[in-house]
Amino acid sequence: MEIPYEVTPRRDTGLYNAKLGVWLFLASEVMLFGGLFSAYVFLRLGIQDGVDNPWPWGVSVHKNFVWLGAINTIVLIASSVGVVFAWVALKERNWRRYQIYMYSVVGCAVIFMCIKMVEYNSKLNHHHGIKLVDNSVMEGTILNKTDRITFKGEKLTFSLQGALPAVLKDLQGEAFPKFKVTEGPEGSVGTEIQSLSQFKGWFADSRRAVSVKLTEERRRYRGEIAEGVANPKPVSVVSSATLTAAEPFDLTGSPRKIVAHSDTAVNYKDGVKVDGKLVNDDVTFEVHEVDLQLVLPTKQRDSVVWSVINDEHAKKQFFDSQHKKYEELLGYYKEHGGVIPEDQLRGRYLNVQYVHVAAEGHEGEHGTEDKHADVHTSESNPTAGGGEGEGKHGPSKHITVAREKIKFMGNHGPRYGTYYAIYFTMTALHGLHVVGGALVLLFFAVFGKKLYLKNPEHLANRVEVGGLFWHFVDLVWIFLFPIMYLL
Amino acid sequence: MADAHDLTKTKKSFAAVGIALLVFTVVTVTIGLAPIFDFGPPGPDGMDFVLGLAVATFKASLVALIFMHLNHEKGLIYKILLFTVLFALGLMILTLFADIDPIREQFDTLQTTRGWLTEKP
Repeated sequence: MEIPYEVTPRRDTGLYNAKLGVWLFLASEVMLFGGLFSAYVFLRLGIQDGVDNPWPWGVSVHKNFVWLGAINTIVLIASSVGVVFAWVALKERNWRRYQIYMYSVVGCAVIFMCIKMVEYNSKLNHHHGIKLVDNSVMEGTILNKTDRITFKGEKLTFSLQGALPAVLKDLQGEAFPKFKVTEGPEGSVGTEIQSLSQFKGWFADSRRAVSVKLTEERRRYRGEIAEGVANPKPVSVVSSATLTAAEPFDLTGSPRKIVAHSDTAVNYKDGVKVDGKLVNDDVTFEVHEVDLQLVLPTKQRDSVVWSVINDEHAKKQFFDSQHKKYEELLGYYKEHGGVIPEDQLRGRYLNVQYVHVAAEGHEGEHGTEDKHADVHTSESNPTAGGGEGEGKHGPSKHITVAREKIKFMGNHGPRYGTYYAIYFTMTALHGLHVVGGALVLLFFAVFGKKLYLKNPEHLANRVEVGGLFWHFVDLVWIFLFPIMYLL
Repeated sequence: MADAHDLTKTKKSFAAVGIALLVFTVVTVTIGLAPIFDFGPPGPDGMDFVLGLAVATFKASLVALIFMHLNHEKGLIYKILLFTVLFALGLMILTLFADIDPIREQFDTLQTTRGWLTEKP
């Protein structure tokens, strides 16, 4: 098929077709990202210091990502320059140089995505936060998946009408516990279940039986009403089952799947109830930073966070650096007239401070398992975040946080706060554009030779059009970098 | 088609823009981190934001004008972009309506004018 105006411009538009096409596409892209930037502005302006979930500025853990973002900016700029030079090489009919430039562009895209992965991994797997009951926030790392609830289960109660109970995935130990159906639909009571596949089979059979029974019952009920029976027996079908284990089984539940738990029971979101005994629900946390933006200034010294951290030195460190910054603000406002505004008093500048809770005791105490702690303390080194002179510290203490003092906890994923939500939305969409653009450019580099020999101008136009998209991707990042990492 | 002389000139301008972009990336980072660029009260605030965005806009226009050849393009593309810019600005302005939210405003007035029930007809 012959597409017209691949090389020569059309007389009415003055452009070759592909160029007009890509600009129309870019126009729609501008509006797509424009909408998201608009959402960013909306969320950012909507943040009220000291009232909402904090924007993570001033959090040193966050500031460490600046360097990754800056490297990525440089990588993308280099790739943009690479594309234009590849285009020039085609114009000069230099195939070899064209290929080298194109491959380096794709290489830059790969580097960009790798750095992005490091960043995402760090946010999702290494940085966590805990909001305590009085809204004070600790930033740091939850260690060894201790946010899970460990439990000795004895009995499972669940509905036979929904999906397979989610609790099955949380069962620990090599062997599937031996269950016996103690309550349930007629006929199934007394069944013994010894393996997961057996459980699935039994569950599917029982679910089918319940649904058949329910249909029958409803038909009977409707029939009796139609016949004019005065008080028809209501529809009632046993649709749940209880399984009792021969001996207590180990359970490790992810808090995201659990609605509530007590010393004797765990309730899952899908309605499954597990009876038994709670083993442990304490969270082990390595705290790096304390964020008191959401605590009234008068209540900060008595905040729950200090009883959790239980370290006078860390507390003193927090209020010392807070005081230092307060003096700084005071100095500024004395010089410029006026008083410190309310939102500054409750804002992140004063109320987010680095603390270091040193591991107490002997060296031997954290010999074996504290390798993890060393990694994290160096990673969260606040010197990169502008904290002065606080960088000297050894291994941190792993503090134990009782579950009842926690209001919310999680990794720095999209649900951690508005910033993380918009951050992941925009950077992920941008990342997809990087991947798409790189694939197109790679295609031109690998399979372009035939077209180059036939009509080099045509290939040059293709590269120009691909390059236009690539520059657009770079352009979006030029804005994303400062608004997501710096400002 | 561009002749050899033109291409050399183009190459030079591309290289110059590339270097300028790298330099301004360093500037952006410095503005974000160095205390001397922390205008206004200490800590992040509106002033820093304006400065950071100004640098970003300058970088973006370099890319658009030189790399994307928008400094010499056919009229039709400018027409398309005019509409794009209008719509994108429209999207930005839409969010401003949240600040003049009539529902919240009414609520605020209710909060401040106690006894409004008795005054109403």
